[in-house]
Amino acid sequence: MSAASVIRLTSPCSLRHRALAVRLVAEACRLARDEQAPRDERSAGYDLHDPFDTALVSAFGEIYNNIVLHAYGRREDATIEIVIDVGPGSLTLEIRDTGIAFDLGAVPEPDLDALPEGGMGLHIARAMLDEVAYEPGPPNLWRLTKRHESASPPPSTR
Amino acid sequence: MPIDFSRTDQDDVSTLRIAGTLDVNTAPQLAPVIDKLVDDRRSRVVVDLSGLDLIDSSGVAALVALYKRSRVHGGQVTVTGARDQPLAIFKLLRMDRVFSA
Repeated sequence: MSAASVIRLTSPCSLRHRALAVRLVAEACRLARDEQAPRDERSAGYDLHDPFDTALVSAFGEIYNNIVLHAYGRREDATIEIVIDVGPGSLTLEIRDTGIAFDLGAVPEPDLDALPEGGMGLHIARAMLDEVAYEPGPPNLWRLTKRHESASPPPSTR
Repeated sequence: MPIDFSRTDQDDVSTLRIAGTLDVNTAPQLAPVIDKLVDDRRSRVVVDLSGLDLIDSSGVAALVALYKRSRVHGGQVTVTGARDQPLAIFKLLRMDRVFSA
């Protein structure tokens, strides 16, 4: 098992830079699963067969959208800091922004029976990850964690 | 991979094939095609997602809008071929029960 490693990215925070950040998270997922190489190095598309990758990439994309659209209101001088802690069989994302903070606990769950056309992003993140934490700043801090199913559960805190 | 899409009509069925990524960046590109499908009052629309690699809530919203707006004139919208990440998102949002044929 390889030792934990940390990847950092500081980037402009805009929809133009979204794919760059999502791609980074997708590649970090492969590292966390200790996959030797992408299935097809030549493929420009995403290769999201593993539920672990699916969960993290989906959740990160939604949080990124929230930061660009709501925290920063599409401000052009916005930046985002992403720290990816690639542990053995798990991955933790810390995302920092200096936009407008909000109350995570006040965000309602969407009524899926009503076929909503909005308000689904946080639901996706919460449902797919093991941990979604938010600390208002500045900087605001999101902490997203997912453990791979084949990994041992963390020690009990009880 | 950015988005790639095409519409083909055969009799009263329109097939909308969407490949690549359908997200906050690419969903607006699809909007005119969806508008046209609704304006044409197609009785049946099949959305083929077998080439779709990645979707986000904005992409889901675009498909839900197509479904809701088509239903107003009695049109039926079904989704086929979803796999991997898009299928996981549809199941999580319980869209699979809405879009299944």
